[in-house]
Amino acid sequence: MNLIDILEEDLIKVPLASITKEEVLEELVDVLAKAKGFSQTERASVLDAVINREALGSTGIGKGICIPHAQSESIDNISVVVGVSRVPIDFDSPDNLKSRLFFLVVASTDAASAHVEVLASIARTCSSGVFRRMLEQCKSSKEVLQLFSE
Amino acid sequence: MAVPFKHILTYIDGSEESMSAMMYSILLAKHNKAKLDIMYVVNTRALSDLVKAGIFLDMERTEYQMDLQKDAQRYLKHATKLAKMKDVEVNCIVEEGSAHRIVRDYIKSNDIDLLLIGGISGIRSRRDELNSETDRMLRNSNCPVLVIRDDEDIWQEFE
Repeated sequence: MNLIDILEEDLIKVPLASITKEEVLEELVDVLAKAKGFSQTERASVLDAVINREALGSTGIGKGICIPHAQSESIDNISVVVGVSRVPIDFDSPDNLKSRLFFLVVASTDAASAHVEVLASIARTCSSGVFRRMLEQCKSSKEVLQLFSE
Repeated sequence: MAVPFKHILTYIDGSEESMSAMMYSILLAKHNKAKLDIMYVVNTRALSDLVKAGIFLDMERTEYQMDLQKDAQRYLKHATKLAKMKDVEVNCIVEEGSAHRIVRDYIKSNDIDLLLIGGISGIRSRRDELNSETDRMLRNSNCPVLVIRDDEDIWQEFE
C-alpha cells in the first residue's frame, strides 16, 4: 500500500492556520475528524494517542518534514492527513530546522502492516528535495493531490 | 517446470486481495492435488528503515514487530481453517525480513512452481511504481505468478 492509495482531497489542508506544534497536531486531527465524521469522544481519543506518541519523542524527522502517527480504535484501517504550512513551525526536529510539511498517519491496531507500508511510502516520497520544495509551494488541496499523483 | 502445478506458494499480507489469493490457492491445490505453502513475512526490513529515517523509536519497532507477528498467526490460523474446510493440507510459514527477497529465495530452495499473490498496486503515481512488495515479487519470481484480484465469488466459496 502506498500513500497515494489512501490520500483524499478532504484529508489535505493548505495552508495550515497553526503556528505552534500543539496547534498543528490539533488542526490535523480536526481535518481527520471532519472528513471521517468522528464524534467528540473519537476526536479526543485520536488526539490523545497522537499527543502521547509525540511525548515519547518528536516525530519531526528533519528537512522540514514531520510525520506524527498513532494507533487508534476510532479509525477503520488507516488514514493520512497532509498539511502544508506557510509558516515554518518548530517541531523539535533532530536537525533543528523548522517544518512546513506534516503527515498525520492514524491506523487501527490491526492494520500494522498497512501502517508500516504507508510510513515507508511517505519517507520514500519525501526523500527528494525537489519534491519537498514543490509540495511546499502547493496552494490548494487539489494541487497537493495532483503532485502526489504525478 | 511441472505441469500441472505440483507445489504452490501463496504470499499473504493481511490485505483482502491476499486473502482472496489464499482462497484461490486452496481450491487450486485441491484441484491439482498440489502441495500448498502459505507464507506471511514480518517486514523487519521496513521497520528498521523507519527507525533509521527517525520515524519510529526503537520501542515502536518492537511493538509493531509484535503486532505483525500476531497478525501473521491470526491470518495463517484462518488459512489453515479454510484449507481444512476443503480437505487440503497446508504448510504455514512465518518469516522475518524483506518480503520479496524471502519469497524469491523460498521459491528457489523449495522448487515452488507457482506463486499466488494478491492484486498488485494500481499505477496511480510513477513515484510509487515498482515499490510495493507484491510488485517486486511479480517481477523477481523465477516461477509463474498468478495475480488474484479481490473477488466476491471466491469468498462465497468458503461461506
